[in-house]
Amino acid sequence: MVAETSSAGAERGVSLQTLLAHPQARLLVGLAAVLLFLIAWQIVGAGEIVRSDLISYPTEIIRTFFSMAASGELTTNAAVSLQEFVQGFVPAVLVGVAIGTGFALSRRLRAMFEPLVIALNTSPIIAFVPIVVVWFGVGLQSKSVMVFLASVIPVIINTTTGIGEVNEAWIRACRAFGARRRQVVMKAILPGALPSLMAGIRLSVGRAVVALIAAEMYVSVRGIGRLIQVYSTSDRAAEIFVLVAIVSSFGFLLVTLLRRVEDWLAPWKRDS
Amino acid sequence: MSAADLHPPARGGFRLSDRGEQFLLGLLGTVLFLVAWEVAARSGLLNPVVVSNPSRIVAAFLGQWQSGDMLGDVRVSLIEFGVGFGLSLLVGIALGIAMGLSRLTEYAVDPFVWFLYASPLIAFYPLIIVWLGFGFTTVVAVTFLLSVVSIVVNTMAGVHSVDAQLVRAVRAFGGRRIDVIFKVVLPAAVPLILAGVRIGLGRALHGVVLGEMFSSNAGLGYRISFYAAHLRTADVFVPLVILVVVGILLNQVCRMAEARLQAWRS
Amino acid sequence: MGALLLDRLSLTYEQRSSGSSFLALSEVNLAVRDGEFVTIVGPSGCGKSTLLMLIAALLQPSKGSVRLNGTEVTGPGSDRALVFQDFALLPWRTVLANVELGLELKGMRAAERREIARRHIAMVGLRAFERHYPHQLSGGMRQRVGIARALSVGPEVLLMDEPFGALDAQIRQVMGSELLRIWERDRKTILFVTHDIDEAIYLADRIIVMSASPGRIIEDIPVTLARPRPLEIRNSPEFSVYRQRIWDLLEEQVRASGSWEQEGAKH
Repeated sequence: MVAETSSAGAERGVSLQTLLAHPQARLLVGLAAVLLFLIAWQIVGAGEIVRSDLISYPTEIIRTFFSMAASGELTTNAAVSLQEFVQGFVPAVLVGVAIGTGFALSRRLRAMFEPLVIALNTSPIIAFVPIVVVWFGVGLQSKSVMVFLASVIPVIINTTTGIGEVNEAWIRACRAFGARRRQVVMKAILPGALPSLMAGIRLSVGRAVVALIAAEMYVSVRGIGRLIQVYSTSDRAAEIFVLVAIVSSFGFLLVTLLRRVEDWLAPWKRDS
Repeated sequence: MSAADLHPPARGGFRLSDRGEQFLLGLLGTVLFLVAWEVAARSGLLNPVVVSNPSRIVAAFLGQWQSGDMLGDVRVSLIEFGVGFGLSLLVGIALGIAMGLSRLTEYAVDPFVWFLYASPLIAFYPLIIVWLGFGFTTVVAVTFLLSVVSIVVNTMAGVHSVDAQLVRAVRAFGGRRIDVIFKVVLPAAVPLILAGVRIGLGRALHGVVLGEMFSSNAGLGYRISFYAAHLRTADVFVPLVILVVVGILLNQVCRMAEARLQAWRS
Repeated sequence: MGALLLDRLSLTYEQRSSGSSFLALSEVNLAVRDGEFVTIVGPSGCGKSTLLMLIAALLQPSKGSVRLNGTEVTGPGSDRALVFQDFALLPWRTVLANVELGLELKGMRAAERREIARRHIAMVGLRAFERHYPHQLSGGMRQRVGIARALSVGPEVLLMDEPFGALDAQIRQVMGSELLRIWERDRKTILFVTHDIDEAIYLADRIIVMSASPGRIIEDIPVTLARPRPLEIRNSPEFSVYRQRIWDLLEEQVRASGSWEQEGAKH
């Protein structure tokens, strides 16, 4: 690193670098920065230095959260969004693992579908929202389909690479003890590919959430995305922030949950 | 050498080079897919008005091209993309370097970067409309926000990855801080910066489409929702395909550049 | 010209996070005459590399001073040039651009520095490889680039930190002989750190033996073998005498420090 390579002269005193090297420094500085930001926001918003219906401020946001929760608005819409998410995400994981495994086992199959996979992976998934809505209607189904589309590709890709990178030695060990192909898959390959697989699933979460909200914002009857859209047309910044916070928290929680699941399934894994 | 070796290789027969075979198979797969689609639509298995089919799409493509609509849309999207992504490159690399070099900056800015990285920025979208209105500025702003984060994060990682020994060497030969930054840190960080650029490009494309779809009346993203709203399904596919192709191209170009650079790393 | 004086040089490392300190070098006194080839040997972790870094002024001493031709050394400069064990070449630059680096940092014009760089590249025998990149060269060739780079800035003292440590044994010997050939031309002052006893004897006018951490100079051995020295001189009886003497000193140090028990306790 550029900042180091100087020794400590004997009487250098307590320098900034010394302070920052402290193990808790990162946390404390980060916390301080966030706090400063929140305070500045509160002052600017509550003091109407900038119109508070445009930018809101922390205390108003918290207040709004509770009123939205109390009115049941949050729960009904969150429930719909959650349902759409699960109905798209779970099949995506299952199908993704299955296809990914298929690709790993058959190079030919993989080559055949590679263009399609690449196309779906690198193109902006949002572009598919209108056509999916045309095909699947304005209700829950189209949202689930979007979630599925957004999540299935990373899972496929990571499953394929995960299996491909499984340590050759483990496979050999299984076969040396007379395992048949299916047993090799179950006992050496799937566990070995697990970290990569889980990483792929975690990656999908972000994409899936974006696809879901985009689809709901585009057109829907209920859901968090729709709420966001509704409030956006009436300059209700506080409500929008509440919804943003909810969506972000959901994604964060899910990823954290997935990490826990991975630790539970694969305690032998080297640390990340 | 991988799990694919659970299959013993095919005996005899016509063998192409590995790459050639993969390419042909890819081609075959795509062609089969298109043919199946066409057949399904024509035979009435799927409703062609709703689902469309390749031949109609090609016709729509030609139609839009001739009317000049396509070029107009492409131009708008291109400009928004260029400005938005260009901005995020400038800001992203500068911020990434600052964070990479200064621990204080890194610790202070990191929570915000992390938040932008982890949260679905799409949810902020309506707020941005509230602040910036409809049209060009908003699209550029969204494009910027979506792509800047991956560039910052990767640039910072690139700076951190610099070999301290090289820094020491340049300092030993009398290099000042500015020399170290431009002659060692930046060049050494380029591979990771490129990776960030690759990801950022994809996200910028995302941002352009998102922006145009929800808050604009021009550009490829807008066209997609416009045609969809009018149930002109064949037309919908034209800008969609263009976007997909552009996405693939950008990605491949970046990967090739990255591979080139890997050469001197080894 | 290239006369060095190290006066009670000491260095204490402060561990920033835990507050503990570590004495790396303790009261090193050394006078080097112009044109001397001095090699420095010692057990691992004795601070011999640290010593070079202090002379190069990449580190600041806690106590004592480094003087070159009477003037105290305060920062890096082209009067002292470093050659590194892992070559430290910029991988994205050609051989030519790498050798030019020192001159570039001095602000020399392109045409001028190119000419100087090419001269030195030819001196180390790599003229045909000017446009190559480091990853295309062997270890020995890369180090020759490093040497050319150091010589290009016209230093009064050459500081070499285990420069052949990353090369295999045969190459190492050849490189040593090459180095002497180059050195014979203008006889710069050289400080050469190594853990290879034979190498230290073969190259030196004078051998400095350092103690285990904290590093001190425990022996200063003049080498009276005639120059120019062919590689076969390593088999001569006089050579063995030196070898035995240094080996005895080092063995004592290594055993005393206990570092042969704990391989991981290096600093």
